Formats: sequence, structure tokens, C-alpha cells
Amino acid sequence: MTDGSRARQILRDRAQALARVPPPPAADTILEVLEFGLASERYAIEQRYVQEVQPLRELTPLPGTPAFILGIVNVRGRIVPVLDLKKFFELPERGLTDLHRTIIVRGHDLEIGLLADVIIGISGVAVESLQPSLPTLTGIRADYLRGVTGRRLVVLAVERILSDPKIIVHEEVEG
Amino acid sequence: MKWNVGTKIGVGFGIVLTIFVIVGAVSYRSVVRQTETAGAVTHSYAVENALTELLAALQDAETGQRGYLITGADSYLEPYTNALPEIEQHRRELSSLLADNPEQLAHLDALGPLITQKLTELQQTIDIRRSKDFASAQAVVLTGAGKNTMDSIRGVLQEMRAAQERTLRVRTAARELDARDTTSAILLGTLLAVIIAAIAGVIITRDIAVPLRSLTGVAERITVGDLTVGTKVKPRGDEIGLLALAFERMGHSLRTLADGAERIAAGDLRVTVQPQSPNDQLGNSFARMTDNLRRQIGGMVEAAAVLGSASSQIVASSTQLASGASESAAAVTETTATVEEVRQTAHLASQKARVVADTAQKSAQIAQSGRKSAADVVSGMERIRTQMEAIAESMVRLSEQGQTIGQIIATVEDLASQSTLLAVNAAIEAAKAGEQGKGFGVVAQEVKSLAEQSRQATDRVRTILGDIQKATTAAAMATEQGGKAVEAGARHTETAGESIGTLAASVNEAAQAATQIAASSQQQLVGMDQVAVAMENIKVTGAQNMASARQLENAARNINELGQRLKQLADAYRI
Repeated sequence: MTDGSRARQILRDRAQALARVPPPPAADTILEVLEFGLASERYAIEQRYVQEVQPLRELTPLPGTPAFILGIVNVRGRIVPVLDLKKFFELPERGLTDLHRTIIVRGHDLEIGLLADVIIGISGVAVESLQPSLPTLTGIRADYLRGVTGRRLVVLAVERILSDPKIIVHEEVEG
Repeated sequence: MKWNVGTKIGVGFGIVLTIFVIVGAVSYRSVVRQTETAGAVTHSYAVENALTELLAALQDAETGQRGYLITGADSYLEPYTNALPEIEQHRRELSSLLADNPEQLAHLDALGPLITQKLTELQQTIDIRRSKDFASAQAVVLTGAGKNTMDSIRGVLQEMRAAQERTLRVRTAARELDARDTTSAILLGTLLAVIIAAIAGVIITRDIAVPLRSLTGVAERITVGDLTVGTKVKPRGDEIGLLALAFERMGHSLRTLADGAERIAAGDLRVTVQPQSPNDQLGNSFARMTDNLRRQIGGMVEAAAVLGSASSQIVASSTQLASGASESAAAVTETTATVEEVRQTAHLASQKARVVADTAQKSAQIAQSGRKSAADVVSGMERIRTQMEAIAESMVRLSEQGQTIGQIIATVEDLASQSTLLAVNAAIEAAKAGEQGKGFGVVAQEVKSLAEQSRQATDRVRTILGDIQKATTAAAMATEQGGKAVEAGARHTETAGESIGTLAASVNEAAQAATQIAASSQQQLVGMDQVAVAMENIKVTGAQNMASARQLENAARNINELGQRLKQLADAYRI
């Protein structure tokens, strides 16, 4: 077999592999997620925890709170604290603007807002395509992580964030 | 006899002098006697003369008496009266003259009464004639008394004269005898003196002149340089002997000096001469001469060495000079060729200068037209500036409108963003509704894609607007810079106009200068011709110089040989 015919064979095989239509995934294996961007990375959370998405308006900083609590906002009469996930993932801060969005999530009778730089939209992720966490991610980042897709989309486990006792602030100022 | 020369000469001359003194004394005595005899003769003549005059006076008195007696006139009595004092005078004269002669004095005493008697007789006759007459007087005279008295007087006078002549004769004879003796004495004395002087001369000559002549001969030979001779004079104690000894010593000394001179002549300068005395001029001079010779010969030896090396250097230098002259001649030949080329170049330059002068005239005309064009450019620049200002205003308006568009875009973008958010919330709500909300979810997805499309559109519009704003800003700045550039251009154009005016003047000057250059280059051409002729002369001179350098080289070689020979000669001296 000559080199030219072999190269043509390889190229033909590749073309056929690319032309094949992938089988539609099963309905129960599709995970509906809300994609958003933090800094230059893309993150996602499950859609069932999401109440709504709001522009970041009238943020009121709270003194005496940990650094990851940016402040509180008023959402149709409810007081919702806003968490800054960048603090957890050690991402660079860029300051707050009108373009920031607040994703209102609810779970375990707790309603909080997650700060997002940009909202990308609703999309579906195959559960089997989720890969476990990277070995380099340790600590709280490993705890909050559900998986990473092949498109480098980091899927967060919202239920763990909401159930984390650390985010419950109970502090009394003496005197 | 150990007499010296002075004694000998003194003795000879003394003898001769004594003889001459004796002769002189004899002569003096003879002269004195002659004088005395001459005085006696004169005395005798004076006595005779007085006697004669006395007789004459008596005769005068008698003559006067007789005349008076005859005539009776007193005028004839004058001789008588005159004669009386004369008679008395002559008697006193005779008595004084004859005072030393007793014989004659006796005669004079006898004469006195006779004269008185005669004078008395004369007086008597005169008185008679005067008192009586002629006859009475004649009678007295005729008595003859007077005549006798007169004869007696004459006789006495005659005797006296004879006696006086005898005395004179005796004295004359004695004088002649004395003169003869004196003559003999003089002759004999002189002869004796001559003989003695001759003898003394011969002796002195033999004793002095011969040795002196011998010594003179020695001196003559020494004078002509012959130092080998001796004096050949016997040892003597006098001056001649001393002179001979002195000659011997002088000869010895001279021989010593001559030996030294001989050694010096042979080249041995180690001779030392001791001067005989501090006043020894020759010895001192010889000593100094040897010293000086040593120094000079030493200097000469050094000088010869220096001369030898110097002449070698001169030879080398003259060789170089000769080669240099050849090179110079070659260079002059090249220079001559070059000058010829330069002359042709000057010829070309002259022609070119003429062309340049014509071109400069044309340039002056062009510069004049350039000045007019510059004025046109200034007005054109002014029009451009006005249009640039209009463009700048338009650009400002464009920029303002761009900002308005930007605000509209921001509004649209905000609407798109809110639509996206709204679409997301709608999708969430649809998901919450479950199966019933699926259709609503699709609508929400469509709304979201529309919002996305409008956002992308606004992005493009914003990008385009940004480009437009950048371009506008750049255009505004370019317009401003253009305005400035136009102003600067206007100024530059004015400056250029002035410069062109100046340039026109300069071009005029350049035209005149080019004319002068043309004339100058013509003169230069003439000068280059002269230079070519001069270079030809220099070439000839260079050839002569080369020949001279060759001769100089030969001369230097001769000098070098001379210096070597001189060095050999100097080496022959032993210092």
C-alpha cells in the first residue's frame, strides 16, 4: 500500500466519523443548567434552584460580615444577601457595575443571590459528560464543585453551597 | 798687557791730544808775539806821523807870519793862529808816545826850547810889522835867526825819525824769527800727531776690528741660519772676549732651540724648552709655541677626525642630494606635464566660465519670473486656508452628531440587555411550569436570540461609530494641523517669496560674478601659460642642479679623501 492511498484512507475515515450524527441523549440524563460568567471562566448551576435573574441594583453593604458577603439587595420586598463566588474561587475582582447580575437561588428554605459578571443563558448538559473535579482543586472549591464538562463549563453544586454552615452568619457585636 | 778696549782707545787719543795741546800753546805764544810786534810797529808809525805833523804845523805858522809880514793883512795871519794850538797838541802827543823811550825823550826835551824860541821870533816879527812897518820886520827876518832855529828843529826831528826807524827794524826782525819757529813747531807737531794716531789706529784696528769682524761674520751666518759655527776667538779678558763668550752661549741656546725645532719638525711635540730667563722672548715664545702647537695639533687631530667623519657624512648627504636632485628633476618633469594639463583645464574652465556667465543671465530672468509665481502661491495659500477653516467646522458638527448616535446606541444596548435578562427569567419561569411551559420556553429562547442579535447589531454599530469617531477626531486634528500647516505654508511662501527675491538679486550678482570669473579665467589662462614657461625654465634649472649635485658629490668624495689624508698626517704627530 502506497503512502498516498493510505493518507487518503485516513482522511476518508475522519470525514465519515465527523459526518456521523450523534444519537440524541436520553431525557432523564439531560441536566438543565443556567450558564454564567465569572471573570473569564464559565460556570453553571442547576436550573431548578434558580428563582430569577436580576440586575444588580441598590446593593447595600453590610458591616461585620465575612468578605464573601457583598451586601444585601431588595427583591420585591424580600431581603436577599448577595454572595461573591469569586472570593471562593480566588478569581480577580473587577469592581461592581450596573452590568453585574444577581442570580436569585432558593434551597433548604434559604434564598441568596449569587453575583455573576454576565448571564449566558439556559442550556442542557449530559450527566455522563460531567467529569470529576480536578485534583488541583482542593478545599472549599472541591466541596462546591459538581463537575466539569468537556467544554470547560464548571457546574457548581448549589445544594452544597446552600447547606454549608459557613455561609450562615451569626455574629454579635459586643457592646 | 791686560788693557781693555776703552783704555787702549783712551791712550791713543790721549797722546794725540797732548801733542795738539803743545802745538796750540806754541801757536798761541807766537800769535801773542806777532800782536805785540804789530803794536810796536803801529807805535813807531804814530810817532813818525806826529813828528811830521809837528813840522807841518811849524811850517804853517811860519807861512802865516811871512804872509802877514809881506801883506800886513790880518787875513794872512790865520794859519799862524791856527797852528799855535796844534803845535802844543803835537808836543803833548809826542811826550805821551815816547814816555817809554828815554832816548827819544831826550831828543824831545832838546826840541822844546827850540820851538819856543822859534815861536817867540815869529811873535816878535809880527808885533814889529804891526807896530812899525815892513822894513823893520824885514830887517829882523834878515838877521837869519829864525831860519837857523828852523833848521835846528828840522835836524832834531830828522834824528828822532831815524831813531824810531831803527827800533822798528829791530822789532820786525824778531817777529820774523819767531814766526819761523812757530811754523816749524806746528808742522812737526802735526806730523807727529798723525803718525801716532796712525799707529794707534792700526793697533786698535788689529786688536778690536778683526775679532769684531769675525764675530760679525758669525752673526751674519747665524742671521742666515747657520748655527754650526764657533767664534774662533782666543780667550780674552776684555769686552771682545765677553762678546765672544756671549756669542758662544747664544749659539748654544739657538742650537738647543733649533734641535727642539728639528724634533718638532720631525713630528715629536713632546719637546719642553726651559726659557733661559724671564726675559727670554725666544725661549718663552718657543715654549708657548710648543704648547700652542701641542694644543693646536691636538685640536687638529680631533678636527681631522671630525673632518673625516663630517666629510663621510657630506659624501652621504651629497649622494642623497644628487639622488634627490634626480628625483626633483623627475618631479619637475611630472609637474611640467601637470602644469600643461592644468593649462588645458584652465582653457576649458575659461570656456565653461563664459557658458556659466550666459546661464547666469538666463537664471536671473528665471528668478524674476519665480518671484511673480511666489506672489501667486501666497494668494493661493490664502484661499486654501479659508477652505480648511470650513472643513474644520464641518468636522466639529460631525463629531457632535457621532456623540448623539453613541447615546442612542447605549439606550438600545440597555434595552437588549434587559430583553436578554427577561428572556432568561421567562425560560426559568417556563421550566418551573413543567410540560405546560415548554412552548413558552421556546418563545423565551427566541426572545433571547433576538435580544442577542440586537446586542450584536449594536456592538457592530458601536464599533463602526467608534471608528467613525476616531476617524472624525483624526480628521479634526488633521484639519487643524492642516490649517496650521496652511498658515505655516503661507508664511513659508512669503519667506520663499522674499527668498526668491533675494535669490534673484543673488543670481544677478552671480551673473556679474560669473562675468568677472570669465575675465579672471582668461587672465588665469595667460598666467598658466607663463607658469608653463617658468616650469620649463625650472626644468632646465633642475637639470643643472642635478649636474651640480653630481659635481658636489665628486667634490665631497675628494674632501673625504683629503680628510682621510689629513687624519693620517695628524696621526703622525706624537703629542
